[in-house]
Amino acid sequence: MNVAASIPTRPEFEPPAYHVREGREGVALDIRNFNLWYGKAQALHGVSLGIQKGMVTAMIGPSGCGKSTLLRSLNRMNDLIDDLSIDGDINVGGFNIYGSGVDVIALRKRMGMVFQKPNPFAMSIYDNVIYPLRVDGVTKKSILDETCERALRSAALWDEVKDRLKESALGMSGGQQQRLCIARGIASDPEVLLMDEPCSALDPIATAKIEELIGALKGHYTIVIVTHNMQQAARVSDNTAFMYLGRLIEYGDTETIFTRPKKAQTQSYITGQFG
Amino acid sequence: MTDISDPGIRNRTTPDGDNAELTQGKKVRRYTADLSATGEPALWAFGGALAIGILLISSFLFMVFWNGITTFWPKPVAVVTLEDGTVLAGEPTRNERFRPGTAILNAMSEEQRAEVEANGGYATRTLYKTANFDLYGDDFRWIPDYTVTQTSYPPDFYTFERQEWGVFIGRVTGLVIDDQPMAYDPQVMRREQREARQRFNEIRRLERGPIGRINHRLEQERLAIRRAQLRHGADSAEYEAAVAEGNARIQELQARFGEIQSQVAAIRALDQRNRVQLEEIGGRSIEPPLSQIVRYYAANDLSLLDKAGIYFSRWGEFLSSEPREANTQGGVLPAIFGTVAMTMLMVVFVAPFGVITALYLREYAKQGRLVSIVRISVNNLAGVPSIVYGVFGLGFFAYTMGVTIDQLFYPERLPTPTFGTGGILWASLTLALLTVPVVIVASEEALAAVPRSMREGSLACGASKWQTIRYVVLPKALPGIMTGLILAMARGAGEVAPLMLVGVVKLAPALPVDGFWPFIHLERSFMHLGFHIFDVGFQSRNSEAGKPMVFVTTLLLLGLIVAMNSTAIIIRNRLKRKYASSHF
Ligand SMILES: Nc1ncnc2c1ncn2[C@@H]1O[C@H](COP(=O)(O)OP(=O)(O)OP(=O)(O)O)[C@@H](O)[C@H]1O
Ligand SMILES: [Mg+2]
Repeated sequence: MNVAASIPTRPEFEPPAYHVREGREGVALDIRNFNLWYGKAQALHGVSLGIQKGMVTAMIGPSGCGKSTLLRSLNRMNDLIDDLSIDGDINVGGFNIYGSGVDVIALRKRMGMVFQKPNPFAMSIYDNVIYPLRVDGVTKKSILDETCERALRSAALWDEVKDRLKESALGMSGGQQQRLCIARGIASDPEVLLMDEPCSALDPIATAKIEELIGALKGHYTIVIVTHNMQQAARVSDNTAFMYLGRLIEYGDTETIFTRPKKAQTQSYITGQFG
Repeated sequence: MTDISDPGIRNRTTPDGDNAELTQGKKVRRYTADLSATGEPALWAFGGALAIGILLISSFLFMVFWNGITTFWPKPVAVVTLEDGTVLAGEPTRNERFRPGTAILNAMSEEQRAEVEANGGYATRTLYKTANFDLYGDDFRWIPDYTVTQTSYPPDFYTFERQEWGVFIGRVTGLVIDDQPMAYDPQVMRREQREARQRFNEIRRLERGPIGRINHRLEQERLAIRRAQLRHGADSAEYEAAVAEGNARIQELQARFGEIQSQVAAIRALDQRNRVQLEEIGGRSIEPPLSQIVRYYAANDLSLLDKAGIYFSRWGEFLSSEPREANTQGGVLPAIFGTVAMTMLMVVFVAPFGVITALYLREYAKQGRLVSIVRISVNNLAGVPSIVYGVFGLGFFAYTMGVTIDQLFYPERLPTPTFGTGGILWASLTLALLTVPVVIVASEEALAAVPRSMREGSLACGASKWQTIRYVVLPKALPGIMTGLILAMARGAGEVAPLMLVGVVKLAPALPVDGFWPFIHLERSFMHLGFHIFDVGFQSRNSEAGKPMVFVTTLLLLGLIVAMNSTAIIIRNRLKRKYASSHF
């Protein structure tokens, strides 16, 4: 399957209003001394991390260590939670997304997100895929059709669903739904793809497909993936961040983290001694 | 039974243990919980009570159904001779046991009294529908069965359904065609009656169509003059011009009115020349015009096919025509129309209000004490007696809003109220108010049931909050919201008490929809099947005559509600299937 050949190029609609400024060379998301509190409980402690452009960054760590929290901070999904406070910066292209006057909606349009459990909407497969464009005000049918096909091809789903695009997305299998969510995440051709345990509800074959997909999408998108599966992290990622109790313990290229970790905690986690 | 003192044995419950006991030949007392501890008696009591309740309701529904379905089946006419020599003719309607008083007992013969005593002091009597209200002053008579010496079903007895005075039961003695008396000939009668009915309908059509239009325009002219007077004053030149102009047109209209009127009078005169001579069993006769005869048949001389024909023709009349004879005869079309229109209007009002309120409470309002209070109040609103809503509807909608509307927009019609009295608009608004809590509660639940992950998925795509609600949350919640609307509809369609205050009438002069601009007249009063039942069954001059109508109308109302609800349920299930979820 030649996925790389069908990588979408940017469709010809206006870029979102959010203004992009180029930041530090090679760093797509620059997290600096980031702290986050749910009410009074601190969930992230001074996390600093530069996520590199066009690469796959895996976040690993035991349950409850704050991986999802950090990931959701990147596109400000945490804004939905009452009584949340943060401190520190996250720079996207040299622009602090927690600064004043940031258009959160425009920010989110630049980042696709795939959740742990597939969450297709109660609409047709076609409408699901083009949803990001539709909320962006794109109505031209040719653009929508083209985007739908490209996104579904990129998500390795096109051949399975091309004859049933008008059917409800809720009638698909779990693995198909998750790939549909990936297609939706990349439909508006974002810069960053955030994935929170995208394979945890899937069987090994569907997981393999998605891993293959991640490999194919790499280079074009900056991908951040949260995973509990060490082999998966080792297989798909270029860089790995290990978190523990809300702190970033170690960050480096995947091979180093998995073969010669500097910290004892990392060592014991990846060898399965806790977590 | 021997008591087993060792608790260890008692607790053995395995089959092996039991077998071991049996093989040893010992008697084993099995462990049984105290009755009150298992809760079984309570279960049985409540279950039984519920079963009895359901049984009673379903047998009532069956009775309504059976009576409603059989009402229009033509019944034979019995001619009974009583022991005192009286002869009467009527349809045996029903039969019951009664306990004769001493005066009646004393008047009985020896063997009759013995029979009553053998029956434990009871005798039976039959209710005959003797009809002929114009001659007898009543429609029904109870005849004790023991006084009947002879019953026969002569084939020459006819049942006549008349336009006025209800049914006539008797013989046909002759015809008067074009003022020429002649012998009764069934074929001539049939032909002439059909023609007479056509003439009757033609008069109707003229009254409805041209005369109605002229009346409407006359009214418009008068209103125009009045408007000019209100706007410019009674001694202004404009007013005088309007009067002159209006009067000219009024005169023209009145001339046309006179023309049609004389046309109608000519038909009426023709009608009076074609009559049928009828004679009741006692020998008194009447001679009504043929056009007054809606339907007639030889009650004891009908084939099954004839009966079925009459049966369906009656259903047809019932469903497609207007009531006559103080609603006890004829059809209920205006009431069907009123019920459906009112319910639809109510849904149109209640749906946006209910859904928007639920959206606000669930999606936008900050969940706190205030919202809790609002929510509790909404829930409690559902418990307010419906008549209270009626009073509110009358006081607020009709007497406050309606009167204001009249003063602002219809001053020329005052003091006749337009919106300032009950009408279908106010009635449906009142019912919308009555049912809005149901819709709010159901919609809130449906919105809350939309998974958080879906909303997050949408927001992560860069959708705004409203886009998320509009495209993701509402479609997903729609079946649940529809369920609320269905419940509201079921409640609203069957509600009568508040409607009696805000616009339902016994006989509406016109439907809320007609051919005069603006075609839909929401200020008009209307008829309603529920109120029709109440009126026919319990408010009319003789409730016995209305009784069959009560059953048929109840059946129809139930059918209508079932039909409206099933339509809504089908739509909802379609939606559900469209978004059917599969699992993995
Ligand atoms: N909405 C919330 N309100 C309050 N506390 C929260 C909320 N979400 C997460 N937390 C807390 O923040 C901490 C980090 O949670 P987070 O979901 O980021 O963990 P995680 O690393 O993703 O875990 P897992 O691997 O189980 O998904 C946990 O202690 C959790 O209890
Ligand atoms: Mg998580």
